[in-house]
Amino acid sequence: MSAQIQGRYHGKGEPLFWLYIKTALLTMVKLGIYRFWAKTRIRKYIWSATSANEDSFEYTGTGLEKFLGFLVAIVILAIYLGIVQMVLFFAGLNLFMDPETASGADIVRQVAAIYITLFAVMPLLLFAQYRARRYKMARTRWRGIRFGMENAAWGYVWRAIGHYFLTLITLGILAPRASFYLEKYMTDRTWYGDARFEQDGKWTALYPAMKHLFIGAGFIIVGVALAALFEAIVAAILLSIVGYIWMIVGAVYYRVQAFNYLTAHKVLDDKIGFYSEVKTSTVIFTYIVGILIIGAVSSIAFTALFVVGFVGAFVTGMSFEASLSGSMVGAVALAIFGVVGYIAILLTLGALSLVIIVQPIIAHLVDGVQVHGAEHLDDITQRSADLGADAEGFADALDIGGAI
Amino acid sequence: MIGAGRLDATGAAYFDGDSPIGQPVGLRLSEDGQTLLIELADRVIAWQVTDVRSIDDFAGKGDSMLRMRRDPVARLFTPNPFVRRALPHLTRRAPPAGRGRLAMWAGAAVCAVFVQIAVLVPFLADQLADYIPLKGERALGDATFEQIKSALADNEYLPLQTCENAEGLAALTQMQNKLTASLELEQELRVFVLDHPMINAFALPGGYVVFFRGLIEAAQAPEEVAAVFGHEIGHVVSRDPTRHALRSAGSIGVLGLMFGDFAGGAVVLFLAERLIDAQYSQGAEAAADTFAYDVLHDAQIEPAALGDMFQRLKDEHGETEGIVAHFLSHPSLDARIQAARDASDRDTQVAPVLDAEAWAALQNICK
Ligand SMILES: [Zn+2]
Repeated sequence: MSAQIQGRYHGKGEPLFWLYIKTALLTMVKLGIYRFWAKTRIRKYIWSATSANEDSFEYTGTGLEKFLGFLVAIVILAIYLGIVQMVLFFAGLNLFMDPETASGADIVRQVAAIYITLFAVMPLLLFAQYRARRYKMARTRWRGIRFGMENAAWGYVWRAIGHYFLTLITLGILAPRASFYLEKYMTDRTWYGDARFEQDGKWTALYPAMKHLFIGAGFIIVGVALAALFEAIVAAILLSIVGYIWMIVGAVYYRVQAFNYLTAHKVLDDKIGFYSEVKTSTVIFTYIVGILIIGAVSSIAFTALFVVGFVGAFVTGMSFEASLSGSMVGAVALAIFGVVGYIAILLTLGALSLVIIVQPIIAHLVDGVQVHGAEHLDDITQRSADLGADAEGFADALDIGGAI
Repeated sequence: MIGAGRLDATGAAYFDGDSPIGQPVGLRLSEDGQTLLIELADRVIAWQVTDVRSIDDFAGKGDSMLRMRRDPVARLFTPNPFVRRALPHLTRRAPPAGRGRLAMWAGAAVCAVFVQIAVLVPFLADQLADYIPLKGERALGDATFEQIKSALADNEYLPLQTCENAEGLAALTQMQNKLTASLELEQELRVFVLDHPMINAFALPGGYVVFFRGLIEAAQAPEEVAAVFGHEIGHVVSRDPTRHALRSAGSIGVLGLMFGDFAGGAVVLFLAERLIDAQYSQGAEAAADTFAYDVLHDAQIEPAALGDMFQRLKDEHGETEGIVAHFLSHPSLDARIQAARDASDRDTQVAPVLDAEAWAALQNICK
């Protein structure tokens, strides 16, 4: 066996596109319940298209399992969120604010209520985040050997709350510390077969990755200072816009560089090392091109839909008012056409974003990963199966699953 | 024996699920074609052809990852599409284990959500309704009333109008004063008539009592309107609408979770509909009726007027048709009619609640 292994992604756009369309249609037909199976099938495809040393990964999760996990999570979340909402309702009545008559105090109360809600849900979000990763690990195999993560979600929750709190009160200065230690917490509890991963490195080494965030923030600070000291409003606005955009790009740069660093400092079984060379420019380029294409397709498609609908109404001899009153057969047919067209466009856009944004970025990520000391992989043996009942139900219920 | 049942195994690999080493294999079908023989360096593994499945949604054209139903970890990779032909059961369903577990969890989840909506939410709502500040209750009522007006409108830009005929309003106020003369209300009543043909009336949090034009037109005597009025005041006094709004908010929280984005912006609308449609508990309805009898008695109106109203609406419209639940589809309607008649047995001093002129004005309040 060679000592170095290269990651490779060989998924194609077309099969994934149709897989998405097919599963999305099934999801609609089955009133949303099929979404668990849909996501599972997409994952199966993406996992199996990911290979290391020509051996592909396998995703062994099932839709049924995800559905079950969702049901379990619903039971718990329903009770928890029900109580939170009732208490908020009692305290702030935020749901029933009429924006036209709301006073300043009403708005303050509403904002407060939103933050309280977020804060109440936060532990669950973090819990869900850990559980989702654990589930995905437990259902991932390579060369028949399972990955896995320890059952330690609550430890993650309180650590994460602490780290994020520190990050918040230091205005983001300690963000690298949070990302490093949280990733370390998860990595140190991750296994491949009977071999454990470990996160090496130092959190301070992530600061270079922050540089563009600092530059962007610098622009904004200078802009605000200009406005405050010299009342140079135009210059201040320009600087703030530049700083803002710089920070958005800087955030992507940070995530990419942090991923590279953290991957390069992961160790499996004390002997096997990793390397990652994801490029920020590729990620941003893929994203921007993808957004532009999707934007163009959607504007063309929606315009076409509108024009066809309008012409249809005209040809069948209906006035616009008649179709508004919705009483005629033609109007109904037109409405059905509109709905079907609308759904078709939405499905296509969803599939496009998966195929021209998500998949290429995954491909770039996978292609940039190398494994060193791979000869030691042969010493690893299987770990026992992890039969968590809740799968990633909380993540599904809270809708934080992300693209895949 | 070369050739007989032998399959091209170039590039194929077997993973025993124990160590991460792909072992080169030879592949052969047994003579009866029923068994796939996987020849490893040191042993031969036999998979029943009927038990071999392929991993679905597998990327890579022609490539297959095969598994055996009874072995959760072993895998056989083959890049040779012809191997698939020899194995006709690859895409058969393999019923997942643990259906019982699914049924159990699904049952538990449904029960829990039911318990949540039927027990926990009402309990909490009742507790909270007693503590909610009047100002908050009023804000809730204002917002809901606006929602109801736009929800019932034909045109979304033109909310349903309240009827503002000055003489009609004066008659309504006169009736209100008569009814509330003997009451000490915690909150001021706000009484409106909506220009809508529905035969109904409802109460909202914050002292709202709302009639539909349809109900006033359907009434044959002012006493009947007064009886309904008394009933709604009963709801206001016992804060049934607030309790109900809190319950709905809680239930919507639960349901919104289940259907995710489906609920979204419809929440407030849904709540508004629920409030018009309010099916309070039988106890709450009975209490509001009883309250109404007392109010009517004090206002020198025959309590049977409530029963008369019910009876006639029932005769004219059937139990449910055309009329929203609150009054007519109630299962104990006959009992309520009877109760109203019984309540009339005490000797009420009867005086007309409105004179003929005022009654005519009230009937024309929307003109
Ligand atoms: Zn009632």
